[in-house]
Amino acid sequence: MIEAILGFVCLALGGFAWYSKQRADKAQARLAELAADLERIQQTQSQVIHTTKLASLGQMIAGVAHEMNTPIGFVKSNVEVVRELVTEHRELIKKCLHGFDLMLAADLSNPQMIEPMRRAMTKVRAALAGDERLNDGDDLLKDAVDGLVQIANLVKNLKGFARVDRDGMDALNLNECIESALTIAAHQLRDRVEVVKEYAQLPKINGVASQINQVLLNLITNAAQAMEEGGTLTLVSRRSGDQVEIDVTDTGAGIPDNVMPKIFDPFFTTKPVGEGTGLGLSIVHKIVQSHGGSIKVRTAPKKGSTFTISFPVDHALLKQSAEPK
Amino acid sequence: MTEPRIRVLCIDDEARILRALKALFRDMDVRTTVDPAEAIRWASEFDVDVIVCDQRMPKMQGIEVLREIRMAHPRAMRILLTGYADLSAVLGSVNEGEVFRYINKPWDNNDLRQTVQLAAKIARDTPVVLDKGIDDFSRDQARREVGILVIEDDPETQQRMREILQPHYQVRFASNPDRALQVLEQHETGVVISETAGQHGDFTALIKALKQYHPHIATVVVTDRANAQTAIDLINEGQVFRLLLKPVRMGSCRLSVDAAVGRYWQLKQNPQASRRFLVAPRPDALIPSWLAGSLMQRIRLLPSRLLGMARAH
Repeated sequence: MIEAILGFVCLALGGFAWYSKQRADKAQARLAELAADLERIQQTQSQVIHTTKLASLGQMIAGVAHEMNTPIGFVKSNVEVVRELVTEHRELIKKCLHGFDLMLAADLSNPQMIEPMRRAMTKVRAALAGDERLNDGDDLLKDAVDGLVQIANLVKNLKGFARVDRDGMDALNLNECIESALTIAAHQLRDRVEVVKEYAQLPKINGVASQINQVLLNLITNAAQAMEEGGTLTLVSRRSGDQVEIDVTDTGAGIPDNVMPKIFDPFFTTKPVGEGTGLGLSIVHKIVQSHGGSIKVRTAPKKGSTFTISFPVDHALLKQSAEPK
Repeated sequence: MTEPRIRVLCIDDEARILRALKALFRDMDVRTTVDPAEAIRWASEFDVDVIVCDQRMPKMQGIEVLREIRMAHPRAMRILLTGYADLSAVLGSVNEGEVFRYINKPWDNNDLRQTVQLAAKIARDTPVVLDKGIDDFSRDQARREVGILVIEDDPETQQRMREILQPHYQVRFASNPDRALQVLEQHETGVVISETAGQHGDFTALIKALKQYHPHIATVVVTDRANAQTAIDLINEGQVFRLLLKPVRMGSCRLSVDAAVGRYWQLKQNPQASRRFLVAPRPDALIPSWLAGSLMQRIRLLPSRLLGMARAH
């Protein structure tokens, strides 16, 4: 009997062991599945982040290309026109020289020649003196040089913005970052949004320039999109204790209460399908956090929103800059 | 003996662009301003022939300026000169500004000069078709008599257009270029409504060719494949009358078609005026092979009797 019971218990225990092994195996498999899922999601996410980065790069290039069309337009036109003016002026000089040759060849011993000669010389003089072409050309070239400087600045800014040459940490002046992002966003603001800047003297912070620029471009672009009908974009920078802060304020539609809790969620967007990835602010959030900073929003319907980002002041950098060189 | 100098008015918010244009048009009588309101006043005050206007300006968009000038001083030909080719600006310049040419910055000096000279000549020699359109009586007559051809191979859109247009106009449908030409050969057609492309290829080539030989036919392009460059080409090479985006809305479609019928009707009474919608002949190399041979020949030979007027060429 006991044997029978023992046998049964053994059987039951064996069965249980077998059963729990089954379960453990299942759990193991499930875990592996989840891990694979997680990896896939992470991969997709990094792909999406990369795509957004490319999208903001594309937006940046399109913006700058558009900004360049105007200076390239007048620089090219002016240089071509100056060439024409130079050609016309050369023709005039040729005519004058021909006149001089005739005068030099004339018989100067004949007193009757003096008067016609005087008249001819006066005419040639007047033609040369009255020719405004070189002055006009001068003005056109001055504009052309101006335009080339403008184009050079845009290119410099583009390089500075993308920081393709270095992707590591740098000592950054946030005011410069704001300016850089503003240039890139210029084509979205230019004809309808007034930009007000209130910059304070800022200590440098430690950060990755291309990422901070992306944050600022994103906030400025969002602000511009919130003000479809025009408005004012105010950019304020200040030092507040151990923090450096930037306010990006628009006078746009504001963010509705039901939307507010979700604005930093990945893939949340209020834009029509195909227009926004819904990743802008989630990436902004991520970048700010990775810099040890924080982001705050204040909003009022129909009055607008203020996004405030703050970063810690780097005391090592502060000390460095305070030390005499 | 010599013609009075061409009067050009240039509007741009960038003073350096204005100085460049002034130098470029130095053999013409040029006025420049950064102020749109001033430009609108000046256009009629100085009886200018040609307007060259920027699109993106802080106080007023270029197409708004051009629309105002079109009302106040319709004789002038309008050219938009812009560094931005965004679709809404291009659509606006067709539907509101009715521009003669849409030119991108940076421009080509010779092209721009020649375009302004051509525009000025047209502005001086060619009567204006006024914007206010035609009276009710003529409109009813025009709706009865003027044929409308819809070139579209999507059955759903065809059906939609049928619902919108059939009750009011003489509408005929064609789903390919060959059928379209059959309709044009057999019926007086004043308005052509077309997609930009179908399974049978690029319909814009057909529209442009038609415009080149028969500039009085008003074309309305209805598309869901809109991109800025196609639209710009439709202005410069096709002088498209209206550009609408799908889905087709009853209201805007009827308004556009009514305006197009009115435009054709006016040009029919006043054939000279169709020079205002002149397009440059396209180089042979740009004409697709399916169009180049017999179809092109048939377009050229479309009988003037059926088009209701003496041909402009």
